[in-house]
Amino acid sequence: MRPWSMIVGLLAAGLLTGQAVALENCMICHGKKDHHKIEASGKRVSLYVDETTIEKSVHASRKCTDCHVDITEIPHQPAQKVNCRRCHYSGNPVGAPQGELYDQYEHSVHGLEVARGNPKAPVCQDCHGGHDVISHLIPESGFYRENIPRTCGTCHIDTYATYRESVHGMALDSGNVDAPVCTSCHGEHNIERPELPESKVSPIHVTETCSECHGPKGVVAKYGIKTDRTATFEESFHGVAQLMENMMVANCASCHGYHDIRAEDDPKSSIYPANIPKTCGKPDCHPEANANFASGKIHVDPTSEESGLLYYISRGFLVLTVSVLAGLFIYIIMDLVRRARAARGKR
Amino acid sequence: MEDNKKLAQQQRDNLISELSDNILKTAKTIVRPEDGDRKVGEIAAEIRQRLSFEANVLLNEAVTRLSPARLYKEITDAPQRTFQRFGKNFRFQHALMFISVIILIITGMPLKFPTLGISKFIVVDVFGGLENSTLIHRIGAVGLIFVGVWHLGYITISRFGRRDFLLMIPRPGDIKDFFHTLMFFVGRRSSGPKFGRFSFIEKFDYWAVYWGMVIMIGSGIIMWFKEWFPKYLYDIGREAHSDEGLLATLAIVIWHFYNVHFNPDVFPMSWVWWHGNLTEDEMKHHHPLEYAEIIEAESKRIIEQQEKLEQAGSDEK
Repeated sequence: MRPWSMIVGLLAAGLLTGQAVALENCMICHGKKDHHKIEASGKRVSLYVDETTIEKSVHASRKCTDCHVDITEIPHQPAQKVNCRRCHYSGNPVGAPQGELYDQYEHSVHGLEVARGNPKAPVCQDCHGGHDVISHLIPESGFYRENIPRTCGTCHIDTYATYRESVHGMALDSGNVDAPVCTSCHGEHNIERPELPESKVSPIHVTETCSECHGPKGVVAKYGIKTDRTATFEESFHGVAQLMENMMVANCASCHGYHDIRAEDDPKSSIYPANIPKTCGKPDCHPEANANFASGKIHVDPTSEESGLLYYISRGFLVLTVSVLAGLFIYIIMDLVRRARAARGKR
Repeated sequence: MEDNKKLAQQQRDNLISELSDNILKTAKTIVRPEDGDRKVGEIAAEIRQRLSFEANVLLNEAVTRLSPARLYKEITDAPQRTFQRFGKNFRFQHALMFISVIILIITGMPLKFPTLGISKFIVVDVFGGLENSTLIHRIGAVGLIFVGVWHLGYITISRFGRRDFLLMIPRPGDIKDFFHTLMFFVGRRSSGPKFGRFSFIEKFDYWAVYWGMVIMIGSGIIMWFKEWFPKYLYDIGREAHSDEGLLATLAIVIWHFYNVHFNPDVFPMSWVWWHGNLTEDEMKHHHPLEYAEIIEAESKRIIEQQEKLEQAGSDEK
């Protein structure tokens, strides 16, 4: 098709029917690789749209104007930002996926920043893509599990670098899809500032979040990693204090770090034996901590025989308590029975 | 109780013989030798008249005073001699200890059972957070440690403390008493064992507290000053503290409370911790051997004094 015939067709469509312009019409201009605009700053911005990208996306059947609703005629004014909620709202007629996710996003740290007018804050398209929105089950997707850290890392680059070197990042790199990615801990649309109590990584919730994998039902069991970590934490004074709503007390992240969590045998790890005194000895925690203070297992379970002396003390007290109390009870009951019998005999 | 009934009987006998003596005396005043010349009929009439008056008095006495229930009540209500069981020093130790222990239990148990709703209520709502409740726990601990040190001083420095401590030491007789009690419970013996100053029950109570203090104070100090100790020692201290805390609490609530509150002998409470005294009845009933010792010592002293007085009297002559 030659350009002039396109223009004629386009004008005819616009003038005669008044209907929205079709995809192919947009591509007259936006299909050209050198189509661009010059911003006031003098920056050259490409306006080229690769048609195949759209065809692969979940929005392949949509027309340009389904999203760019402000474009009603050609030539058009600079397009406004696309609002995804135009379709993605509860009860929408076109069957676009919807749910709480959009509300969650609006209340998330990202959504709130956007609302405040922060130009760097991400909107839907920043993570999901604009023309290239595809299912998170396709490996090319930015939301394919293994790609999530990279997607988040486009903005959070330092964090991404730290995470990649952590035990979690390295596991993911080595192809372990069970390894946690950003969203495993922070959530997806409901990402909150860690200071907020509703955040999955707030001091109140971080134990729960870690125990999704490291707790009794955790996925880590299949890699031979202990799943009693949360139970032993909860029984420790730290865990008890946390239950009593003391937020000063150490949670998982206080000792293990968060983005930089490393294996116990990694000398850079905060729980590498030589580093433990320093980890315990944070100014807000146990400033007097020394190597002696930190010697001994941290996640210790008195009911497990591995705990040695502690296990025998715990067992010893159990036996002592049960036998002493049973003896006292029996004695009291015998005494009462004797008294009852004596009282009956008298009358 | 048995003793009082016997005593009532005894008093009744005494009263009767007293009254018959009175009658005899009356009769003697009526029939005097100087009245010999009076007519027999006159004398007889007077005797009858006066004796019938005596008899009326006697009857009244018998009806009002000789009723066994009244006599029994009189004896039971009569002010009894008291024996001091616990001196001021010991009562102070006991009071400070139970105040401390109650504080320690209230602030300690929630941490042993943190997932219970009431635990969070106590720590967060009542005390306003863990920092406050642990501070109060430590105040209680200071009280308990103070009692522990005070008691060690008491059993070494004080004469009474030393005597009581020596009497507290378990001896073979306690095991015999224990089995004797069991035999009594199952009906193989007609009466329980007779105890001296401290029964095996009281000795058990005392040594349970002794052992508890050593464990609780020792492990508590390790946890309090955890930075001085290795982590594994802290773990052991915490385990022992928590387990012994539970054992001690249950022992107090079940055993000690049974013996000093809920036992039918003392219900609702034995007040000896407050005034320190036992009545003569209580002494005879609960500590017959000690009672016998005291009475024996007293009578010995009285006899000695009398002998001394007699000696002095004969010397003067």
